[in-house]
Amino acid sequence: MATHAIDTHDTHDHYHPPGLQHQFEDMGQQQESASIGMWMFLVQEIMFFGGMFTVYLVFRSKFPMAFAAGSNHLNVYWGAGNTVVLIVSSLTMALAVHYAQTGKRMAQVVCIILTMILGATFLGVKAIEYADKYHEGIVPVTGLNLRTALHTEPNTAGGSHVPGDPDSLEKSSLDAPSSAENQRGTSGSASNSAGHVEDEYVNPNGNFLWTDTSLAELAQKEDYLTTAEKVGYFSNGQIDANKFRDKVRIFYYIYFMMTGLHALHMIIGLGLMAWLLWKAWSGAFTADYFSPVEMSGLYWHFVDIVWIFLFPLLYLLGRHFGAGGH
Amino acid sequence: MAHTHDEHKNNLDSHDEHSGAHHIVSIPLYLMVFGILMVGTILTVLVAFVDLDHIFPGANTLVALTIAFVKMTFVMLYFMHVKYSSKLIWLTAIAGFFWLAIMFAYTMQDYLTRSQGVFNG
Amino acid sequence: MQNASAINSAEYIEKPTNYLNNGYTIKSWLLTKDHKRIAIMYLIVVSIFFMMGGLYAATIRLELLTPQSDLLQTQTYNKVFTQHGILMIFFFLIPSIPAILGNFLIPIMIGAKDLAFPRINLLSWYLYMIGGMLTLWALMQGGVDTGWTFYAPYSTQFSNSYVMAVGLGIFINGFSSILTGLNFIVTCHTMRAPGMTWFRMPLFVWAHYATSLVMILGTPVIAITILLLAAERLARIGIFDPAIGGDPILFQHLFWFYSHPAVYIMILPGMGVISELISNFSRKKIFGYEFIAFSSIAIAVFGFLVWGHHMFVSGQSIYAGLVFSFLTMVVAVPSAIKMFNWTATLYKGSILFDTPMLYALGFLGLFLIGGLTGLFLGSMGLDVHLTDTYFVVAHFHYVMVGGQVIAYLGGIHYWWSKMTGKMYSEFWGKLSAMLVFVGFNLTFFPQFILGYQGMPRRYASYPEELQVLNIFSTAGASVLGVGLVMPVIYLTHSLIWGKDAPANPWMLPGLEWRIASPPPTENFETTPIVTWEAYDFSDENGLDMEEARRKNIVTV
Repeated sequence: MATHAIDTHDTHDHYHPPGLQHQFEDMGQQQESASIGMWMFLVQEIMFFGGMFTVYLVFRSKFPMAFAAGSNHLNVYWGAGNTVVLIVSSLTMALAVHYAQTGKRMAQVVCIILTMILGATFLGVKAIEYADKYHEGIVPVTGLNLRTALHTEPNTAGGSHVPGDPDSLEKSSLDAPSSAENQRGTSGSASNSAGHVEDEYVNPNGNFLWTDTSLAELAQKEDYLTTAEKVGYFSNGQIDANKFRDKVRIFYYIYFMMTGLHALHMIIGLGLMAWLLWKAWSGAFTADYFSPVEMSGLYWHFVDIVWIFLFPLLYLLGRHFGAGGH
Repeated sequence: MAHTHDEHKNNLDSHDEHSGAHHIVSIPLYLMVFGILMVGTILTVLVAFVDLDHIFPGANTLVALTIAFVKMTFVMLYFMHVKYSSKLIWLTAIAGFFWLAIMFAYTMQDYLTRSQGVFNG
Repeated sequence: MQNASAINSAEYIEKPTNYLNNGYTIKSWLLTKDHKRIAIMYLIVVSIFFMMGGLYAATIRLELLTPQSDLLQTQTYNKVFTQHGILMIFFFLIPSIPAILGNFLIPIMIGAKDLAFPRINLLSWYLYMIGGMLTLWALMQGGVDTGWTFYAPYSTQFSNSYVMAVGLGIFINGFSSILTGLNFIVTCHTMRAPGMTWFRMPLFVWAHYATSLVMILGTPVIAITILLLAAERLARIGIFDPAIGGDPILFQHLFWFYSHPAVYIMILPGMGVISELISNFSRKKIFGYEFIAFSSIAIAVFGFLVWGHHMFVSGQSIYAGLVFSFLTMVVAVPSAIKMFNWTATLYKGSILFDTPMLYALGFLGLFLIGGLTGLFLGSMGLDVHLTDTYFVVAHFHYVMVGGQVIAYLGGIHYWWSKMTGKMYSEFWGKLSAMLVFVGFNLTFFPQFILGYQGMPRRYASYPEELQVLNIFSTAGASVLGVGLVMPVIYLTHSLIWGKDAPANPWMLPGLEWRIASPPPTENFETTPIVTWEAYDFSDENGLDMEEARRKNIVTV
């Protein structure tokens, strides 16, 4: 035993390939560490998004009709288009890894550029969708939605557009508690500076504009309201537009949080791609050393997977309720 | 080499992924997976507009999520090379979803069993 | 190579370069990628946070000396206990053993030059610093009074907006913890020296592996929860606000999904330290190595299934309460396995009562009490009576202070010679260990009785008939305070005036004892080959115990 223990390894005179960090013995070990580390990171990401998915699950199971209403109002064509864009970008990313493995520099560079273009396209579409929602007054943040001036109304996307109804909003339960907090920033300054401007706005407080309760009525007629909904949408046995709106706002909150976090990950991904592009262009990756491409690829595919779930959950579920009136 | 493999080494560390990590997936295979993903996307959109809930409540949700799951599986297996990776990577990927399932299941066991069935919103 | 026969301490003392004297500039510290230097940097910062948290604790105990809220106003008191909780949990307990001892020792114990990702390790430290500074800033601005749990809707609609700053601090700090865990797991998988098989790793490493699992799987959930909380507070969206359709119990679910497993982040590393101490100071191979190793993993896994026992009276369903209550009993099993194995290791061991071992023996008793009272609280029926009383406070202090802090102190003493190359004074060490033990019990045992009698937690005043026990508790806190300040003094003293430490002051078989004290920057001159099991005190291991005793190297 003891003699075996004396056996030593000289780590200093063997060949050090480029890109090998000092704490590792060889490229295999480094590659394996990077791979496990990246997967651990992705597990962390799963749980990070998982918290949001749990929130979605809880609220959807309580208020399916409000969620269907909110979901049906999203633009399914933009959503589906973006899904396609992301899947194509995943393909180009996978090809980038392939060309890195086979040591083809120009093909790598082209694939990375394509991936970046597609990622940017996705974000652009997302920005258009966000802007639409903003102009329609359904960004769920108190005090935003200010631009919902009367003259901008015709711009909003057709079909299921929700007209703002100032009267119902006056009774908004939002305004009731802690009104001081609602006042902050927006309505106060608008009315102080120029009183007459107020008239032009349907929504001086920037409240969440939603009046459509048709799905709740449908569910009531067909008798598939959940027990939570029977309490959550009704006042004195009547459907309460404000209470229903509050539930739709939760949907939009979840929509903005989830897609926003996803978009943030896309932006980080684009940063990674830019770095990869520079490295690939300078020929850093060879058939022996391509771990950064592979790891960034894992990240990119993960972000794609999140979207693969977000798309049906946010855009599609509940479409069949609205199929008649859509 | 430092990584002289000892017979005691746990099989989780089986270093066969050294060859696996260098496994090169062919372009036709990538394109095939891509095709499946596209078909899945189109399918999921089309199905969403059909009322399946009259079969049983939640059928639409089930179909949509099944398609998403299949798409995810293909992305993970081929684009993310899990198919060619070590057991540890498989385990890691599965563990992530297992823990997610724990979070869903144990949260929902509360919400689905509130005795009055009512959460006063 | 650290040949087993070369364990003779004298050979290493004249080694001139080690990680401490390898560069003296501030830059060489702040930009270091050496896991040992990063560990020292953590040690300094974590100690500062510990002292601050301790000052808040002292204030709380002083306030509770009298039944009236006379020292502090009730509002101030709310802030004081909140900040005590936030600092102690997020900035002391969670990083204490993993980030200091784990960082320093895991690579050495498995025969590696460094962690797998040294740069990420440094990044973790910076994230910890940023998160900590942000939180401190918020506390200096007046602080928050929500309790460390940030329950909605109080935190989202009332309280004050520093909730967001503190939340952001914890969010950032969470990523420090995630990256540390990630680093440890990868290191355990890929960086082990030849011959260092999974079942030859010291149990300290196993415990950290389990801790890292919890860090990776749980911490992201608190991150997203805090993000939601901040968004809610900022924009008043209503997801946790019952007035507009939200659900405050959902916040509790998400919060405890992390924060219950987080108590295992706070105790598992301590258990790892205790496994080391018990086995090494009994000079006996640990009893049931595999059971202890797997019970760590089991705790990490089952720990995720029991969070609802914090919510028995919150309004979750009775059914869920029953399930969580049952699973709480299940998670007690692996902890009990450890207790039995440690006790069995002591049996017929040749026990040295050095300072670290005193802490370890203290841990066994205190953790036993803490764990058993946890079972009382996990029983749903009894918990309805005890929720939010001092019984709960006493319980988790027995686990957190009696467990993790005691283990942390034991570990710091045990590896002090390795980390600094200096010997501390054994006399003062033993004295402070005993003071800590006595002071701790005097502080927290009366709180069990107070809680049982119905004294609620988080109040600045209490009925007069409870004053006697509160005086005991405050008196104990003073003793505990003295016991905790003493190590700061004599350990600092040892840095300058202490004797130089031999490489292996206790003649122990672990890899960390086979390199110089303090270790060289690269840890090992050449990659070691491990041919022995963990805690192998047999002669084949090259440790001649009789010889060591004759030379009186073994300190008694």
